[in-house]
Amino acid sequence: MNLPKSWSEIDVLQFKEIRELYAIEEVFTREIEILAALADIPSDDLEDLDISEVSDMLKDITFINSEPSKNYKHVIGEYHYKPLNTLTVGEFIDLEHYFSVDYNQHVGHIASIIYRKVMTNDWGETVWEPYEFKPSLRCSLFDEVCINDVYGILPEYLAYRESFMSTYANLFTDEDGSDEDEDERPATSDEAKEIALRKSEKKWGWERLIYSLCNEDLTKFNEVTNLSLIMTFNMLGMKKELNV
Amino acid sequence: MVTILGKEVPNQLTELTVQQFEEVTTIHANQELDAIEKHIDVFALLGVPEADWEDVSIEEFKQCVKEFNDISGKPELQSSFEHMNYTYTAFDEKFKLTVRDTKHIEKVMHSRHKGYISEMLAILFKRTDLTKTEHYTDAHIKLKAKIIRELKAELAVPYLVEIGLKLSKEMPKDEPAQVVE
Repeated sequence: MNLPKSWSEIDVLQFKEIRELYAIEEVFTREIEILAALADIPSDDLEDLDISEVSDMLKDITFINSEPSKNYKHVIGEYHYKPLNTLTVGEFIDLEHYFSVDYNQHVGHIASIIYRKVMTNDWGETVWEPYEFKPSLRCSLFDEVCINDVYGILPEYLAYRESFMSTYANLFTDEDGSDEDEDERPATSDEAKEIALRKSEKKWGWERLIYSLCNEDLTKFNEVTNLSLIMTFNMLGMKKELNV
Repeated sequence: MVTILGKEVPNQLTELTVQQFEEVTTIHANQELDAIEKHIDVFALLGVPEADWEDVSIEEFKQCVKEFNDISGKPELQSSFEHMNYTYTAFDEKFKLTVRDTKHIEKVMHSRHKGYISEMLAILFKRTDLTKTEHYTDAHIKLKAKIIRELKAELAVPYLVEIGLKLSKEMPKDEPAQVVE
């Protein structure tokens, strides 16, 4: 049986398959399913073996219990790593979406946003490919990339996000200072309406923000989503602080 | 059998049924009971009512526990048993714990429901006239477990020991993949 010895032999697609199997609660069953996935055989093929016969194979794949390398590549084919401090509002909103669902299952989508084509303009400056494509249509380009080459963008984004949220904390809190919608139980119908409204506002949070930045003119939607994230939040922070 | 406060109490693996053994195991696993309460509950299960202990000194109680725990003999793995003209076999020559059986056993152990010991044995013992698919159907496992519960604990205990040894030696430790936080 030909088994990979480390993450360096695993591509993005296999990584997603393995991480999906981590939902299996029973340890032995989970490891057998992962073993079968790594060996590219149906798990039924292993079922008649004695557990002592599979235990050595399981020892060979213990690397799956560690993280892949965090040293991501800056260039993958024609795609270049776009520094996170150059993110636009639209890119950030989409990244937030993929990180709020299972980001291990969306490595390709996330890589599609962070790795982009570049060109140099007449002034010798790097110009990034505009964000005018759907990550879902591009994510498969990364399926066969070694997971070690891209995995590091996940912790890097999470660290960046934490720092960003902390810097602009006042923009992510409600008027009463809370930033989480706790499991509230309404006592009256008015309270119930209030809670429903808050949940609705939270659900449409990004849309409301863009709508407000567009001055309620939806033809400016793309202009807003292409704005620099940091510049936009600096301006929002100023507006809030000066109440203008 | 051992005589406790004038009552005949089964204590040997050849005397206890698998069901009684499961219930004793459940009592001992109950962390809300202290050691004395556990022994009283076990005796009550096996025929000595709790009220009978009211006037018994702690020394006498300890002696009863000691006598109850005096188990003789070490049963061997039985490869098969007969029930209603059917033969149920766990192995032919040497006991082998297959990946398939281990997956089913792990599922039963994970649920930790009362009666899991007989269900584990029901996974290992296969009726010789049935197919592989039929061995593992839920209804058939439940039926076999019901049959096994009526058999003596001497059938179950060697398998529990063997499975425990094999799993502790071969099973992966539960080390979930490190995740990015």
